Amino acid sequence: MNAVLGVTLQGIQALRVEVEVEITGGLFVISIVGLPDASVREARERVRAALRSLGVSVRGRVAVNLAPADSPKEGALLDLPIAIGIAHAMGEIRVKRPSIFMGELALDGRVRRVRGAVPAALLARTHGLPFFVPGGNAAEVSLVKGVEAYRVDHIRDLFAHLKGDGALEPIVPGTCAEEPHEPDPDFSDIKGQAAAKRALEIAAAGHHNILMTGSPGSGKTLLARALKDILPPLSDEELMEALLVRSTVGLPMDGTRRRPFRSIHHTASTIAICGGGTNLRPGEISLAHRGVLFLDEFTEFRRDLLESLRQPLEDGFISVSRASGSVTYPARVLLVTACNPCPCGYWGDPVEPCRCSPGAIERYRRKLSGPILDRIDLYVTVPRLTPEELVQAGGEEGEGSSRVRERVVKARERQWERWSSMGFQCNAELPEKTLRKQVRLDTEGKRFLREMATRIRLSGRGVSRVLKVARTIADLAGDEDLSTMHLAEALAFREGGNLPWTS
Amino acid sequence: MAKHLDLGSAGESLACRELSRLGYRVTDTNVRMKMGELDIVAEEGGEMVVVEVRTRTLGRMLPPEATVGPSKIKKLIRTGTAYMASRGWEGPWRIDIAAITVSPDDKLVLEIFRDITVGLIEP
Repeated sequence: MNAVLGVTLQGIQALRVEVEVEITGGLFVISIVGLPDASVREARERVRAALRSLGVSVRGRVAVNLAPADSPKEGALLDLPIAIGIAHAMGEIRVKRPSIFMGELALDGRVRRVRGAVPAALLARTHGLPFFVPGGNAAEVSLVKGVEAYRVDHIRDLFAHLKGDGALEPIVPGTCAEEPHEPDPDFSDIKGQAAAKRALEIAAAGHHNILMTGSPGSGKTLLARALKDILPPLSDEELMEALLVRSTVGLPMDGTRRRPFRSIHHTASTIAICGGGTNLRPGEISLAHRGVLFLDEFTEFRRDLLESLRQPLEDGFISVSRASGSVTYPARVLLVTACNPCPCGYWGDPVEPCRCSPGAIERYRRKLSGPILDRIDLYVTVPRLTPEELVQAGGEEGEGSSRVRERVVKARERQWERWSSMGFQCNAELPEKTLRKQVRLDTEGKRFLREMATRIRLSGRGVSRVLKVARTIADLAGDEDLSTMHLAEALAFREGGNLPWTS
Repeated sequence: MAKHLDLGSAGESLACRELSRLGYRVTDTNVRMKMGELDIVAEEGGEMVVVEVRTRTLGRMLPPEATVGPSKIKKLIRTGTAYMASRGWEGPWRIDIAAITVSPDDKLVLEIFRDITVGLIEP
């Protein structure tokens, strides 16, 4: 095996690239083969300048081969291995142990941060290879345990290290502390909206997708933002998954265990959300992996975009297939959506009259297809507050986010205990079969559910959704068995209040 | 000899003197190959150098170094490659420009541009 290795990204996985260099006499030229993209081809200018900053002047015809030759290489992260490969071929340094190098070179030899350091670190760990990574990526790499990684800030230091003069500092494995932070906004800051807050608590506890409807200015967006602070912190495994996606896109680490919260504007394109593009990149749904994907003005999104969310919502991953290849990105998100009940926004408002014609409402509701609404477990109406409620300062504040979060964390632990042996994490993930077998009802509960199912015309899937939500409500309360009370509350969120299209 | 040819050869001999002073070992001058001519061939730092000499009077539209255009560079590369092959040189080589400007008081000022093909994307 060649000693100088680089990486290129394929989805969220790093692929090992061997860098072979041959130098012969002639007029100076660097040619790079092995399906390089434009940014890899431009590496030759950066590499030459960076090497010259060390007093190494490259001469003659330099042929660089990036193996495997048939997979496309992209990004500036191959600058450093190419530079090391050339210096190795010139005899300036000797790379004794096969090592993985990554980094973009500045003209003066500094090493810049790149995207994809975490996938590369995982690759280095699998093969047990030393890994040289830009200083800018050190923070994210430190979270990958069991990898022999070195921080490189300047190519000069790396040369010294390889010559054995000055050892580079290995990156110390770090931990991601769960820093306490001020919830913004806090639940106690939001006036009224008891039903919506309760729905969010259930959504957070059981990972149930939620749709909030309400008139303009009723606080839907504020409520959604408050959700991120009642979610439990990321576990080690989840943190790694989220980190992997972030690193692939090149987003910096925020160094906390807070779950991602991605708020998407409705003008977003399908590629921006699902991933893709000429150089395949994860989309917003993957960036929100293990966190919240918030679609405000749900009805304004393009129809085909919403339809493309159906498969990832069900499977927890998204496969992006293009001519240049097919990759799979993780996409297990909590979908939080908000919209107005009708085009004018005042349908069902206690004060303002709705000015929409029945036809307009019909068209509006047709924007949301059955299949996508079917993946939403909780419907909640967010009414506008009365002037009295709004003006009332101080008074009863309601409980804060931290207390709600404690309940959510406990409920998740209960679900984990119950389902982890079957391979699920939370109630919303349960398949129909397991659900029917595991969630038992007493006779009274069965009778109640049957009655209600007939009255509000619940479908088979509707019934199982009610059961899942009821299970979460019971978990929040700490009850082992489902009671009629839990079912009744779940049904209240199923009915969707006064939604024009779910009645 | 015509005036411009006199100036040219004066420039070339000045370039030879100056290059030697700078540590170049001049091995050949005015090499005629099939596809063109090389003004000076020298050796410097373990590398062969093809030096193209350009002499111009100050005040003309272009400075001397700018008169070496893409087609001239291509020609230099072709001629240089052929020359290196004919002499059996297998090591690295490069192309320099010796740009000589004639100042109004008839002084010759020399400037050397080293390794002119290095930044070219398609040399």
